Amino acid sequence: MDFQFSEEQQQFRMELRAWLKENLERPWIEELRDPKNDEKKLFDIRRSWQAKLHESGYLGIHWPKEWGGRGLTVVENAIFAAEAIHAPPIASRVGINLLGPALIHHATEEQRKRFIPKMLSGEEVWCQGFSEPDAGSDLAALRTRAEPDGDDFRLEGQKVWTTFAPWSDWIFVLARTDPDDRYGGITFFLVSLHQEGIEVRPIRQITGESEFGEVFFSGALAKREHMVGALGEGWKIAMTVLAYERGSMSLAHLARFDHYLKDLVEGVRENGSLQRADVREKIARLLVEKEVLRANGYRTLATLASGQAPGPEASLEKIFWSEYSRRLADGALDLLGLQAHLLVHSPHARPHMDWAQEALYSRAVTIYAGSSEIQRNIISKRILKLPSS
Amino acid sequence: MQFELNENNALLKTSIREFLEKETPLAKSRPMMEETQEGFSKELYAELGDLGYLGLTLSESEGGGAAGVIGLAVVLEEMGRVAFPGPFLDLVLAEETLCRVKDQQASQFLQETVSGQKNVLLARSEALDDLERSSLQTRFDQDMIRGTKLPVSYGASADVLLVTTAEGLALVPRPEEGWKATSLPVLDHAQRFVEISLDSPGRLLTDKQRADTILKEVDQLGALGASALMLGLMEGSLELTLDYLKERKAFGRTIGSFQVLQHRAADMWIRMESSRSAVYRAAWALENSLEEASLLVASAKAYCGDSARFVCGETIQLFGGVGYTWEYDPHIYYKRVKTLEQLYGSTRNQLEAALQSQGI
Ligand SMILES: Cc1cc2nc3c(=O)[nH]c(=O)nc-3n(C[C@H](O)[C@H](O)[C@H](O)COP(=O)(O)OP(=O)(O)OC[C@H]3O[C@@H](n4cnc5c(N)ncnc54)[C@H](O)[C@@H]3O)c2cc1C
Repeated sequence: MDFQFSEEQQQFRMELRAWLKENLERPWIEELRDPKNDEKKLFDIRRSWQAKLHESGYLGIHWPKEWGGRGLTVVENAIFAAEAIHAPPIASRVGINLLGPALIHHATEEQRKRFIPKMLSGEEVWCQGFSEPDAGSDLAALRTRAEPDGDDFRLEGQKVWTTFAPWSDWIFVLARTDPDDRYGGITFFLVSLHQEGIEVRPIRQITGESEFGEVFFSGALAKREHMVGALGEGWKIAMTVLAYERGSMSLAHLARFDHYLKDLVEGVRENGSLQRADVREKIARLLVEKEVLRANGYRTLATLASGQAPGPEASLEKIFWSEYSRRLADGALDLLGLQAHLLVHSPHARPHMDWAQEALYSRAVTIYAGSSEIQRNIISKRILKLPSS
Repeated sequence: MQFELNENNALLKTSIREFLEKETPLAKSRPMMEETQEGFSKELYAELGDLGYLGLTLSESEGGGAAGVIGLAVVLEEMGRVAFPGPFLDLVLAEETLCRVKDQQASQFLQETVSGQKNVLLARSEALDDLERSSLQTRFDQDMIRGTKLPVSYGASADVLLVTTAEGLALVPRPEEGWKATSLPVLDHAQRFVEISLDSPGRLLTDKQRADTILKEVDQLGALGASALMLGLMEGSLELTLDYLKERKAFGRTIGSFQVLQHRAADMWIRMESSRSAVYRAAWALENSLEEASLLVASAKAYCGDSARFVCGETIQLFGGVGYTWEYDPHIYYKRVKTLEQLYGSTRNQLEAALQSQGI
């Protein structure tokens, strides 16, 4: 039993901290507040930040060196996520966090050579084409087809809720190659968005931004050399992606939550209610649960660092951090009152924290990457072995 | 980063589990809880002494097992799992107090507790709530201890009491005619609380200041130990529930196939596993005397308290009518955790302690 970072890991943290101090010119919240920055501009900032990180070897930290990574472990990767919370999020987050591990596990050497370096540098930004209008939680109901065309395939159908689709260059797609085989008839393709037969339409979210969108395919080319795994192996690969999407992210979220709770405590101190018993109890529970979340996160990290792939236990972490983020944001909107409802660029808004955005976003995290209900299904079936109806 | 138990603790876990499954499945331990005056089996405790479990946390030079805080958590978790009756944790805490007092008589009592020959127990509280009081009413004066302590867990079975007084920590051997103890039956029928009126000869072991320092350390261990017990109680209760969900039928199907019950079972599991993370991280911090230990122990105790009440309460609900019978076991778990929420630093006090540890 050991919940500590090693000396080398501490060293890594200190160097990174120094690097960030030198290289991060403006905290992300300042960029968000700047009226000159529209969504396009903000995404460009994320791209150039990613390029900077890449040059200094801070992307793919836990990937093998031969794939442009730093050759360290998930622990250092988590340390990075925790230290960089005030920096812009990288542009190809979906690529690096989700597709990357899938390529390392399942792709051919040529495919890795072709795609990983540009994914890391941010030259090519990726989005995830899994969900469809009639296939969300029930992902295997997907209907986008890949029809053979000579050696290659042509795509017909539609994806939806595709995060970053409006800014992406490539999409990884689950497509049906056999209509009669629910799981075995799905194949995993890497598809360029810059081609005929593709249309991307932004969708406006409850925050007013259009971070996600729809992707329509009408005869778009999916090359055989860009098929990952064999024909019909898509479901297996999708499961790898989802496991990485669900697990191992706790420490990054924790660093945010540390910052948020600190802001909440400052806020109630300023508004004079910190000594009220009801306020203290609420804050104490948020503090306690945050430590439990950290313990869960360290535990997952320890498992991953020992070389095991994330299993159904990843559902525990997903449920815990996502539902905690709702409780934390709701707590702030309650204890800080309308001050926490102010939009980031409004007069009187809290200088270091965008609670309004966080409160809205916290309603998304329990839906994507497998909703809270789906996670509970996974736990009850795969861990508790409760019978199907 | 490593979550697995080391080899020694893994071995400890297997051996204590084997012992408890053989000696005290609930079918055997419920008569101890329900039909004996002491509420536990003295023979079994003597055996725990012989096997070295009673001196678990003490150093080898004190005749202990040097299993550390993590080892203690392992054993208590297993005890919780079978709702093991009696004052095991209280004895450990009394030992931890004795070994911090440099005193010859204390050392002798320590040895006798470790070997299971004597029960030394702490008598500290003077009120039934867990609110902070400015001073103790019990006094030490001219080799006599006078005052009333309540509740004292398993106090009627004590051979020696370690009594907190306004003057410091006192050692009070059981008088010839026994304690003036009034039993305080509570919601948890397995528990044996008494109120003890003292007007007895005894010795002062340390002054007040030193006693406070010692007991602060012991309190951390108590809170951690209670958290580990509650973790085990959740495990035992969830195991009962899962068996029942897979066997009971309604509307022509096993009730465990109803999604609403599956999700409730999943929530129980989430609470239990998160408690496990919290307990062992806190145990690790305490074992290594890290600064964050006070936050982590308070967090573990508060979180396990909330979680154990939830989990063990859900068990009763998911059993339906039989869950409300004396005959079935869910109430054993539920009652134990209700008491543990209040003891070893109530949830409310732990929440406040967590805040204060962060300067809030
Ligand atoms: C902000 C955001 C970003 C996203 N980004 C992406 C992306 O980049 N790429 C991508 O492919 N997808 C993305 N998604 C889509 C996301 O994965 C789906 O929304 C999600 O899988 C749910 O599917 P659905 O929307 O069709 O809802 P449905 O599946 O229709 O679910 C509706 C409700 O029913 C519940 N439900 C469904 N099935 C069950 C069941 N078996 N048992 C119990 N309850 C059930 C759900 O939990 C939910 O509450 C994103 C979603 C959001 C909100």
